[in-house]
Amino acid sequence: MAFTTAKPLAHLVRADFPILQQQINGKPLVYLDNAATSQKPTAVLEALRSYYELDNANVHRGVHTLSSRATDAYEGARDKVAAFVNAASRQEIIYTRNASEAINLVAYAWGMNTLQAGDEIILTVMEHHSNLIPWQFVAQRTGAVLKFVELTETEEFDFEQYLSLLSDKTKLVSVVHVSNTLGCINPVKEITAAAHRYGARVLIDACQSAPHIPLDVQDIDCDWLVASGHKMCAPTGIGFLYGKLALLRAMPPFLGGGEMIADVFLDQATYADLPHKFEAGTPAIAEAIGLGAAIDYLSAIGMDKIANYEHELTAYLFERLAEIPEVRIYGPRPKADGSGRAALASFTAGDVHPHDLSTILDQAGVAIRAGHHCTQPLHRYLKVQSTARASLYFYNTREEIDVFIQALKEAVEFFGTLFG
Amino acid sequence: MSLDNLRDLYQQVILERYKKPRYRGKTDPVDRYQKGHNPSCGDTIELTVHLNEAGDRIEDVRFEGEGCAIAMASADLMAEAMRGRSVEEALGMIQRFQNMMQGKDEFPHEFRKLNVMQGVSQFPVRIKCATLTWHTLRAALEAATPQPAGFVSNE
Repeated sequence: MAFTTAKPLAHLVRADFPILQQQINGKPLVYLDNAATSQKPTAVLEALRSYYELDNANVHRGVHTLSSRATDAYEGARDKVAAFVNAASRQEIIYTRNASEAINLVAYAWGMNTLQAGDEIILTVMEHHSNLIPWQFVAQRTGAVLKFVELTETEEFDFEQYLSLLSDKTKLVSVVHVSNTLGCINPVKEITAAAHRYGARVLIDACQSAPHIPLDVQDIDCDWLVASGHKMCAPTGIGFLYGKLALLRAMPPFLGGGEMIADVFLDQATYADLPHKFEAGTPAIAEAIGLGAAIDYLSAIGMDKIANYEHELTAYLFERLAEIPEVRIYGPRPKADGSGRAALASFTAGDVHPHDLSTILDQAGVAIRAGHHCTQPLHRYLKVQSTARASLYFYNTREEIDVFIQALKEAVEFFGTLFG
Repeated sequence: MSLDNLRDLYQQVILERYKKPRYRGKTDPVDRYQKGHNPSCGDTIELTVHLNEAGDRIEDVRFEGEGCAIAMASADLMAEAMRGRSVEEALGMIQRFQNMMQGKDEFPHEFRKLNVMQGVSQFPVRIKCATLTWHTLRAALEAATPQPAGFVSNE
C-alpha cells in the first residue's frame, strides 16, 4: 500500500454528517446504502432551517420582502443546478419531485403527444423501474414499440447490439448513465451521438452519476437528463429535469395549476415561459434551496476529488470482497485504480439469502440494501431472485469497508458452519 | 456482532429447514393452488393443498418458491403442522401465527416447533417474510375454486 501523508477525503468530511455519528445495535453505524439515498451534511440541514426561520414565503407571488427573499433563494438554487450540469441556460432546468417525476414529465408531455404506432423506444434491460414504467405507459397508449439493449459477457451495455437496434423508426433512446445494480458506466456520449444520427431523442437517467462524477450535458449532447436530489446530499422531494431549450419550448405543459400560467381565462389559458411552464403549483421551495446548498457543498469539495476518492474505495472494496469465495459480484470489474465502474457492489453470498444477510449485517451496524433494487427485469435477466448491495459515497472509509467485510465473513460462516 | 440476537432469530431448526426443506413440491392431487408474493423484496411462494373428499380437512400442503431463510422455513414448518388439520383448525392456527408475530401468543405443546419463529417478532421488518406463506394458505383455504385468480400480496 502506498504511503500517503494526505488525509483520506472521508476523514475530512465525516464530521459534516451528524447522522453518521451514531450507533446502531450497539455498533458504530456503517452506512453503505448510498445508492438508495445519501446522508445530508449540516450545511444542507442549516439551509432548510434558515429558510424556514428567516425567509419562508411563497415564491413568485408576493411583492413583500420575504417573498422576494424566498424567490431569490429558490431561483438561485436553479442557477446552481444549471452550473452543476453545465446547462447552456437556467431555463433548461425544471424542478421536479425526483427523477421519476422528471421522466414522467417527458413521457407525458413529449412521448404521449409525439410518438405514434410503430415508432420505437430503445431502453436497456438494466433500467430502474422509473425509466421503464413511464415508457410502458407511452407504448400502451401510442402503440410505440419498446426495444431493449442487453448486456455483454462482462455485464455491461452491449454497444454493438445497441447499434443494431437503431433505425429510422427509433424516436427515443432512454438509458441509465450508471446502473444502480451493475455499477457499469454507460458511454452516454457515444450512445447519444449514435441515436442523433437517426434523429432520435435521448434521455439520460443520471441518478447514480450526478452524485459521484462531474456531469456536462452539453458535452454529452443529450436532449434530456434527470436526477434526484436526495441521492446527492439534498433533501427528498426535489429533483430536476434538464432539457434542451428548443425542445422544452416545443413541449406542451405536463401538470396544470398556479405558477405555470401567463394569462388565464375561464375556458383557456396561455402558459408561462420556461422553466415555470413545467412547475405547476407551489413548489418544494425549501427542498430546492436545500438542493442548491448540497451542490455548493459538493462543488466546494470538487466532483473530481469525489470521483477519485471513490475509485480508491472501489478498488479496496473489490479487493476485500475477493477474499470471500462465496461472493459473486454482478457487473464489470473495476480497473486496477478502481475506476471504470461505480463505487458499489451488488452480490450474492453463497447460501445466505440477501435479506438474511442484511439482517445479520444490521446487527453489526452495517446498512446495506437487499432485494431487487427496483430493477426486477435485470434480476430476471441475470437469473437471480435478489441481490445484496453495498454502495459507497465519499464519506465512507476503508475502515468501514473492513467492518463490512468482517461482518459479511461472519454471516457466511454463521450460515455455513451448520451445514459444512 | 451480537450473535446472541441472531441465534434467537436464526434458530437451528430454521436454518435446517431452509437448507433441507421437507415439504417442497406439489401435492397430488392439487385441490387448492395459491401464489403469494412480497413485491418489495421479490419473495414468491406457490402453495398447493390436498383436501379430503368432504373438502374440510387438509391431507397435505406443499410449497415451491424462492425467498430468505425466514420465509422458506416458515413455509416448511407450516406445511408440516397443517397435515391432518381441519380447515377450521387451520384458519385458527393462521390467526395464532399472526398474533405470535405481534408477540402476543404462542402455540401449545403439540405445535411447539412453530414457536421457533417467535424470534422474528423482535425484527419487525422481517415479519412479512414469516407471514407470507400463512397469508397465502388462508387465501387458498378460503377460495371456493381450486385455482383463484391473482396472487396474495403481503404488503
